[in-house]
Amino acid sequence: MLDWVKPNAKVIDLGCGDGSLLKELVLKKQVIGYGIENDPEEINACIINGISVIQQDIDAGLENYFGMGFDVAVMASSIQCLKRPRFALRNILKIAAEGVITLPNFGNWELRMGLLKGRMPSSAELPAKWYDTTNLHLCTIADFEELCDEEGFIIKKKVYLGKGGRSSWLARSWPNLFAVEAVYLLGN
Amino acid sequence: MKVRSEKITFDETLSLQCGKSLPGFELMVETYGELNAQKNNAILVCHAFSGSHHAAGLDEGSGKTGWWDQMIGAGKTVDTDKYFVVSLNNLGGCHGSSGPASINAETNDPYGALFPEVTVLDWVKSQKLLAEKLGIDCWEMVAGGSLGGMQALQWAITYPEAIKKAGVIAASAKITTQNIALNEVAREIIRKDENFHDGNYLVQNTSPKQGLKEARMLGHITYLSESSMGKRFGRNLQEPETKVDSSINYEVENYLQYKGEQFADSFDANSYILMTKAMDSFDPAETCGGDLVESLKGIQAKLLITSFDSDWLFPKEHGLEIQVAAMKAGLKSSYLECAGEHGHDSFLFHQEHYARSFKNFLENNE
Repeated sequence: MLDWVKPNAKVIDLGCGDGSLLKELVLKKQVIGYGIENDPEEINACIINGISVIQQDIDAGLENYFGMGFDVAVMASSIQCLKRPRFALRNILKIAAEGVITLPNFGNWELRMGLLKGRMPSSAELPAKWYDTTNLHLCTIADFEELCDEEGFIIKKKVYLGKGGRSSWLARSWPNLFAVEAVYLLGN
Repeated sequence: MKVRSEKITFDETLSLQCGKSLPGFELMVETYGELNAQKNNAILVCHAFSGSHHAAGLDEGSGKTGWWDQMIGAGKTVDTDKYFVVSLNNLGGCHGSSGPASINAETNDPYGALFPEVTVLDWVKSQKLLAEKLGIDCWEMVAGGSLGGMQALQWAITYPEAIKKAGVIAASAKITTQNIALNEVAREIIRKDENFHDGNYLVQNTSPKQGLKEARMLGHITYLSESSMGKRFGRNLQEPETKVDSSINYEVENYLQYKGEQFADSFDANSYILMTKAMDSFDPAETCGGDLVESLKGIQAKLLITSFDSDWLFPKEHGLEIQVAAMKAGLKSSYLECAGEHGHDSFLFHQEHYARSFKNFLENNE
């Protein structure tokens, strides 16, 4: 994913956590980076990391960031936590020319097995119980790509990853069943 | 914590934005901690509308703790074991610096209404002269809340190479129409006090204390939040033996009467008018045709902009507006939205998220 960001790009990370991705991009690609985050602990971690961070709830809207000339907007593993994911996706491509989205795949076989057993799915990657999880809108790789198609988002690049974030033949061949995570580069 | 208090005299003529100038002036300064040999650990704190140079520690004369004592001190958010903190009473104030109550050398009387109008930019220019006198080429940080935050922002704009970080707290790039309206009501109350004498009350050996008290009572309400007042006073009735006036029913009335009285005894009415005018006129974007982004473009300092959710005087949208403009200008700038229960005054109080982020921002040098 680092390869998808050009040197000196202007990058915004939506739901940036402790800012470590931005820090890496600043170090390796000399980007101008900003993070959006709403958790005080994570915000403080960003400040310790020397990352510019804005305290804001992404669900409250991203209109503030239109017209700032961002090259890339990143949303890593947060899309499923949003109240209005489709709305947020549309806005991401209004904020930046390209969007990098990472997505946990709820179509993965392990999670399907859980559901077959009659229990809400959980796995090493998604350990929270149904009452604790921050995931609100669950989707599979097939669902997400269908939405991109409907909305006219162009999937410029994509990577399907297996367990532990490793590329695997199974995940590449039957992503909706075997990929744990997918990473997309979207454009209009 | 090592505290020094000193009145510093400046012989240079200070040209003011209003077109007038001051032929020399004095600034009352308090410092905490020690300036290191490299002179790179200095922090300037700028006071809000009614503040003074006394920002931290206990002043034995008045028995008052400094206005930012919760944040400044040994081992505190702004750690005086590490940093040299400079605090001053702004020009036009009434706590020892040259102001309307000072003697005008031309007339040998107090300036009164003749003291020229000063602006946030004028303050920053006088603070730059102070920095030079102290041998400080570059502040590690300039910070302040409310009108103090406006000075921090102005510093970053006017002297980009002389400031590394700016703490712009509970501030605004320009105040609203409603803010100006509230300030004007306060000023009108003062002017209509029969002892105001067009601002020349000191030569008449009097002072518009009643007007000043009422203005402060109004102002004080705007610095708090509805919920903080509710929590603190509720609808509790004042005990009869502690009523400052027999007509009082509720605790909140007694509190405002007491606070207003106390303020009127220690503040100068002309300074009140001057400070509120400086607040009204602050608008750094004005020199760039109203374009805030353009006005911020030369900034080299890292910014930390902080708002409080219960602040309705300088609401969080104002902080966010500066942040958005800073991002458009490509600056390194962070924005915090803290849960502060004290309304606009929240910036004065230590609160976990606010204090911790402030400290880490100050101490981070990546």
